[in-house]
Formats: sequence, structure tokens, C-alpha cells
Amino acid sequence: MKTCYSIPIGPVHPALKEPVMFEFEIDGERIVNVDFKVGHVHRGIEWLGMHHKNPLQILPIAERICGICNISHPFAFCIAVENAAGIDVPDRAQYIRTIIAELERIHSHILWAGVAAHEIGFDSVLYLTWRIRESVLDLMEYLTGNRITKATFTIGGVRRDITKDHYPKIRKTMDFYKESFDKLKHVFLDDKTVQLRTRDCGILTKEDAIKLCAVGPTTRASGVKKDVRVDQAYAAYGDLDIDYITPDILTGEVKGDVYDRIIVRLLEVKQSVEIIEQCLDNMPSGDIMAEPKVAKLLAILRKAVGEGIGRAEAPRGEVIHYVKLTGQETPYTWKVRAPTYNNLMPWIPMLKGEQIADIPIVAASTDPCLSCTNRVAIVRDGREQIVTHEYLHKLSVEKTRRLMR
Amino acid sequence: MTSKVLSSEELAEQIKERFKGKIKEVKIEKRAVGVKKKERETLWIKADKDILKDFVKYLMEIEFPHLAIISGNDLGKTIELVYHFSIYYGRKLREVSINLSVEVSKENPVIPTICDLIPGALITEREKQEMLGVKIEGIPDGRRIFLSDDFPEGVYPWRRDETGPDKMVRDLYEVKEE
Amino acid sequence: MAQLTLPKSFKRSLWVFHLNTGSCNGCDIEIIAALTPRYDVERFGIKLVGSPRHADVLLVTGPVTRQMADKVKRVYEQVPDPKAVIVVGNCGTTGHTFHKSYNLVGPVDRIIPVDVYIPGCPPRPEAIIDGVVKAWLKLESLEGKK
Repeated sequence: MKTCYSIPIGPVHPALKEPVMFEFEIDGERIVNVDFKVGHVHRGIEWLGMHHKNPLQILPIAERICGICNISHPFAFCIAVENAAGIDVPDRAQYIRTIIAELERIHSHILWAGVAAHEIGFDSVLYLTWRIRESVLDLMEYLTGNRITKATFTIGGVRRDITKDHYPKIRKTMDFYKESFDKLKHVFLDDKTVQLRTRDCGILTKEDAIKLCAVGPTTRASGVKKDVRVDQAYAAYGDLDIDYITPDILTGEVKGDVYDRIIVRLLEVKQSVEIIEQCLDNMPSGDIMAEPKVAKLLAILRKAVGEGIGRAEAPRGEVIHYVKLTGQETPYTWKVRAPTYNNLMPWIPMLKGEQIADIPIVAASTDPCLSCTNRVAIVRDGREQIVTHEYLHKLSVEKTRRLMR
Repeated sequence: MTSKVLSSEELAEQIKERFKGKIKEVKIEKRAVGVKKKERETLWIKADKDILKDFVKYLMEIEFPHLAIISGNDLGKTIELVYHFSIYYGRKLREVSINLSVEVSKENPVIPTICDLIPGALITEREKQEMLGVKIEGIPDGRRIFLSDDFPEGVYPWRRDETGPDKMVRDLYEVKEE
Repeated sequence: MAQLTLPKSFKRSLWVFHLNTGSCNGCDIEIIAALTPRYDVERFGIKLVGSPRHADVLLVTGPVTRQMADKVKRVYEQVPDPKAVIVVGNCGTTGHTFHKSYNLVGPVDRIIPVDVYIPGCPPRPEAIIDGVVKAWLKLESLEGKK
């Protein structure tokens, strides 16, 4: 007689706005059904923005929606307000915006690579990748003043310029990443254990990815060509020579499993380095802000009437902001949609049929934000037994050791 | 999937032709960005709420649309829902964003679901139910998604009338007068 | 400037548990960056553990949302004595940009007692190490009083 256990897993891997609570129904070691509950990090941000705040005051709030992609949210918000109010951004500012957005993509993908390695059990790879990541954080501090919350964007342009004095350090960091790329590729993609753990694990088929409206590297790894930078012209991407990154560039076939997602993210790091070099070579001259005086900018925004959407490609996928201005000081409506929101539904087909020990790596492969508090309670015949995240992580590491033998 | 990619003017003509009488307004927005001045096309459509499902079926004949999000506005007597679709992704620089806005009245805030056509719309429809008080017919799973279960019923955070969350607001940084 | 003198024999190595009560993850990645080879607090014996029952110090980030309030209290009760609670970042100290919202139940010190506050948005890994050292000294002095 089969007994189905139901495991609730408390906020394990939070999505961009919130830690997620899972409930798995398992039969033996295989997962039969998945349910999730989000909402633990609901801070009421859109409500905060719609009341008592003019668009310039909303920018710091938009930055703190997520600490890892804190360039993409202000980026999309600025594009939405500029579309609604009809403000034109100078070309030099567009190129600087592109450079900073690509630097953020490098940092986020390398961060993810370390976290994924930690979930499999290779802690030394976590330390290696995060050490490599420190170079790009130093560069961001050199250009913008802070490692994490950078506050460079404003409505109508950017606040700080990238001058010719900054170029040598940027080029030196890019050369460092070109050398490290081969090292990272060798560590992740040529390792037999990583292949055994991640190949054919957590598969998302192309039809499911399209139907569930998945975004970002999750959907590109399944073969769907969706990338806001290539689909629509925004900032400087319309001038550059870029293309969609899908796993068949490296391996020749598309399977949609965790290994493909690793491939897509590592190739995107290389693509970002190339984009930054293209931007540096073609940087136009001119102003960096459409309206440098803050009082005049606020006056323009106060009179503006219109609606606008702003879409940007964050490291995790498409970010969209919708702003409606009605001639008052605060916007009438502000809607934010972070990319992990759309990537929640694909967890269900990815996790069905997998083993419990694979839950951490499959859930982390869609790159939700960081790990959080974990409580696992297994209910066996009515008696509760509290087990910690350590146990889940231990299961995952033990599976790797078994495969290594 | 048709192989010919229509421009936004042709799409606007087709939509006006097909849904005669139910479309209130179609606006085409084009913005040029960058040094090479490549254009980005957006269509803004205002329509009656009855054509919602037919509109989605029309988009699916062209190509499976990507639903980005559904936004909501409280306009006083009515609630306006804006559906943000996009088609022609996968072709370099040819994507067109289509924003369809429908209105429901506050006395009868009911609208049909599109989850049977686009399964990925489940989360955003659940969010509209709890944030604006809109009732979505036929939704497969109508539970709360972002608000906690002990948040009081009948309080809708995005509304601007008496059902708004003003009584739930707490100022964390209160300074008490001595 | 006062010199912090650490006692010659470290009586214990601090084990730290990290709790996210609804933050934007900026502080969380700076906490993990403090463990990586550049700042490397593991050479002092400070380790991140997976369960509050093994921890000495609780690192809390984020303004507390309604859903997480009782979970924070439960985790605090599970940390064995003597313990220290450190709040990392501006959100947990005062609420910062989210100070007026309908889903937040107050800065962390209204829910659990706090020993050390580390301000910053996010604080640099050096500041986090400094805060943990202060908590360490406090724990050592608590042990000494017994």
C-alpha cells in the first residue's frame, strides 16, 4: 500500500520579491505534485509609490526592490516615465546605461554560478566564483560609488559620466573576465559530476516554456528565443551586434535541463563583455541628462499626462513597469513585474518526477533570489518531525558523493 | 504561425476590421532610440470587456502571445485592467507590444479568465482578485497569493475608495511627541 | 580612536544563522561576501550554519513583514542561550524607504530584543565583520560576568 507524504518546505529559495513556501507531495523519493505560496516579502511597494511620492522619489524605492538586480528596476521605470512624459534621452546616456546594465549582468550570473555550485555540494567552487566576482564589484564602485545600490539612473539620463580616464580600468577588468571565462567553463561544463547531476534533470520543454510565459535564461535554455535586448530596441542595444543565446551554440542540441541553463548563463557573461567593449568603442559624445536642473525636471513631470511601459532585460528575465501620469505630482498607477514572477509557474513541470535530493538545484536553476529560512516538516502518520534545510542540503551533497564513486 | 510579419499599422487595421464597434480607440506609438534611431512600436487599444477572449484567440492565430502582466487602475466608478501582450518575439528588433485596456464597473466587477488559453496567466489573475477585488470567472485556483491569510477580507490595497488599506498603514518610524 | 583588543584566547568560535524577514537581498549577499576569500571571516572561526539550534548569533535582515513576524519569534526562541542578535542594514533598524506601509509590522526591535545594529544600505562586508566582532565582545563579557 502506497502512502503519499506531504512535505511543506518553508521559505527556501525566495523569488525576486518574496521567499517562497513549497508543499510537495511525494511518493517514495519521487515528487508527484507541487504547490507554492509566495508573499512573504510583500512590502507594499506599489502602494508606497502611488501615494505621496513624485517620480524622482520613487527611484530609490525601485532600486531596493531587489538587491541583485538593482539596475534593471530603475532602468525600466525610467523608460516607462520617459515614454509617458515624452522625454528624450541623449545618446551618450543610453550608452552609459547599457554599460552599467551589462556590468550588473556579469555580477549576477557569476553570483548565481556560485550558488548553484553550493547547492550541488562544491563549496570550493562557490568561493572561487565569488572571488572572481569581486573584480566587477570593484569596477562598479570605481564608476558609480557603491558596490550594490548604485543610484546612477535618473529620469532623462544618468547621474555620473564615464570619461576617458575610466576606460583603462574598464578594459583591464574585461580582459580579466575573458581569461576567467575559460576557467569557469572548464570548472562547470567539463566536470563529469556536474554533468551527472544536472543533465536530464529539471527539464522544461519548449511548449511549456511558451505556454507558461517563462522569461530569461530559463526560457532560452529551452530553445525559445525571447530576449528584450534583441527583440525591441531600447537604450543602445538597437545599435549593437547581438543575438539570442541558446544552448545549441555550444553543444548543438537543446534539452531544457539544468545543464543547459548553466551553459546559457556562462555564454551570456561572455556576451556582456563583448557588448561593453562595443559600447566603449562607439561611445557618442554629448550630454548625459536631458534636463540637469531638478526643479525644472519635476515641473515637466508634474504637467505630463500619459501612460507608458518600460521593458528591460534583467539578468533573470524581462522586467516590465507600467506608469500612468495624470498631471499630478504622484503617478496615478505604478505596476512592477519582476521576472521571477513569471518563472514561478515553470517550477511545477520542472519538479514533477524528480527526486527530493534534486529540489535545491532545480529550484535554484531558475535563479530566484537568495536562500532564506528553511524549515521542513515531514508529517508521517500524523506525528510531526522537524527536519532542517541542513538535511535537504545534506541529501543533495550525498547524492553527489555517490555519483563520484 | 504566419510567416509574414505585419507592421503595427497593418495590425491596427486588422483589429479595427475584425472587432467592429467594440473598439473604442487604437493608438500607435513609435519611439526611436540610439544613434541608429531604430524604432520601437507599441499599440494601445481601448475596448469593451466582452471581446477579451476573442482578442486573445485572434492573437493566438498570429503567434502564441507573451503575456507580460495585467495592470489595474481604480478610476473612481470603474476599474480598468490593462493586459500587456507582446508578439513577434524571436525576430530581431521586430517585437510589437500590444496593450489592451478594458473596464469593469465596481458594482459588478466580473471578467472571464484567460487561463484556459494562456496557462501562464494564473498568478497575475490571482493578484488582481486580491488587490482590486475583481472577480475572475472560471479561474482554476482562486486563493490569495501575495497577501497573508490573516489580512482582513474586503480590504483591497490598490483601491482608492473606502476599501483601501489606509487603516492598515503603520509608520515604522514614528516619533512620539514628549 | 579606541582600539578593540580581542582576548588572547577565543573561548568559542561564533556560529552564525542568517534570517531574512523580507529584505531586498542586498544585505544578504554582502553577508555571504564576507565569507568569501577576499574578506574571509572563516579564518576567525565564524561560520554560517543551517539551523538556529546550532547558532550563537542571529543575523537579521529586512523590515519584518506580516507573514514573517511569528516566524521570527519562533526562530529567536530556538537559538540557545547565550545569544546575540545583530540587525544588518537600514531596513531592520528603522524601516528606511519602506517605513510607511500596510504590510510591515515594525522594525526588528519591536519583535525581538536586539544587541547590535549595523547601518548601511547595504553595509560593506567590513562593516558587517566589525559588527560581529562587537557582538562577540559582548558575548564574552556576558560569559565573564557569570
